Amino acid sequence: MQSLEVISVNIWDILISLLNLLIIFLLFKRFLYKPVRKVLDKRKVAIDTQYSEAEDAKQSALKDKEIYEQKLKGAQDEADEMIKSAASAADKRSAKIIDDAKNKADGIIRQAHGEIELERKKAAEDIKHEIADVSTLLTEKMLEREINEKDHRDFIDSFIEGIGEDDGTSD
Amino acid sequence: MKDKSIGFRIADAALIILSVIPIAAAIALRILTNPAAEGIQIAGAHIFFTVKMPLQDMPITESQVNSWLVVIALFFFCLYMTHGISEKGGLRRQMIAEWIVEQTDSLVQKNMGQYFKAFSPFVGGIIALSVCSSLLTLFGLYPPTSDLNVIAGWAILVFVLITHYKLKGGLLCYLKGFTEPIPVFTPFNIISEFATPVSMSFRHYGNVLSGSVISALVAAGLTSVSSVVLGWLPGVIGNFPLFRVGIPAVLSLYFDIFSGCLQAFIFAMLTMLYVSGGFPVEEWQKRMKRKKDKKQKNIKSA
Repeated sequence: MQSLEVISVNIWDILISLLNLLIIFLLFKRFLYKPVRKVLDKRKVAIDTQYSEAEDAKQSALKDKEIYEQKLKGAQDEADEMIKSAASAADKRSAKIIDDAKNKADGIIRQAHGEIELERKKAAEDIKHEIADVSTLLTEKMLEREINEKDHRDFIDSFIEGIGEDDGTSD
Repeated sequence: MKDKSIGFRIADAALIILSVIPIAAAIALRILTNPAAEGIQIAGAHIFFTVKMPLQDMPITESQVNSWLVVIALFFFCLYMTHGISEKGGLRRQMIAEWIVEQTDSLVQKNMGQYFKAFSPFVGGIIALSVCSSLLTLFGLYPPTSDLNVIAGWAILVFVLITHYKLKGGLLCYLKGFTEPIPVFTPFNIISEFATPVSMSFRHYGNVLSGSVISALVAAGLTSVSSVVLGWLPGVIGNFPLFRVGIPAVLSLYFDIFSGCLQAFIFAMLTMLYVSGGFPVEEWQKRMKRKKDKKQKNIKSA
């Protein structure tokens, strides 16, 4: 079998090898670099979106936190307000209760006073009657004579009236 | 991706087999067409057949066939590497594929700049083709990189690229570049322009070929040394070239593996440096600006 010389130049062989290199370049570009680049780009996009999503989540969490802090602060104020209003209401109510109680007591005392007065008047009336009866009886016995009962009573009444008036002024 | 489907596994196996078959075919072809030779044999690639062509006959040689087989093997290897990759990752081959892409990208970025980003598949292709071609010697095959025609083809393609990028600054700028620094230098500049592909091709080809030549010479020398030293021994032991065991392997480690990879890397580096170095950035920017202005003027006038 024939061999080439160690140093030999053949333009067709040169051309073939040139085309070989071009072909391997195109093959590498199409079948190795393109798919790998595609995958790398896809991964980059995925990572970027994940990062941006995480950033968004963080932002919204911070916003929520702010809102909750504000709400918490509002709740504290509200609670203070509620306690204050409750205390004032209680104060008012207690004052009212005390007032009511005082009024009621005053009423009771006044009523008691009235009743006492009434009782006293009644007692005075009773005593007056009693005295009249007794004095009538006494006079009958003392005089031992027939006397018009009606005249007699008028007489005694006028007498006692005089005593009552004296008694009333002196009392 | 632990739950690989059966179809996925079959496709994987098929791709691996298809990328191994070309190498096996090359070995078979070598065994069938190349009978064991006696003595030192330093010659070029075997010619399988010759095609009649204008200008010069086209011999289809071992180096051509081997480079095609390497191209086919690399094609299926690429398909295997990108088979089933996804943005979620998980496959080991995906990490390797990404590593290759990112490494060549960063290499091109560092040596050529942002403008030449599209060059990374070309640089990756050069390195892969050169390394695989040189490493064919490990299978006892004829390395296409030790054929001048193969490397010359690559170097001429690189030369075309260099000239293409030099012409981006305009023809006038390109021609003016030859008269620098002074007009007297013009012939030397023209010579150095054409010396670029020649030096690139001879550097690579010479390194690989010299490795093969030195390996063959050392092997032959060791045979004679062992026959001198151990020849007095009777029978088979006397004829056995004992020194050829092991010692050439060390040389092969250097010439075949180290030198092959290094030359591939050097060729790729020189490609990058020449192409990006020949690109006149300022002139190109001025020209682009002029073109833009012209376009805007045309739009305004229309």
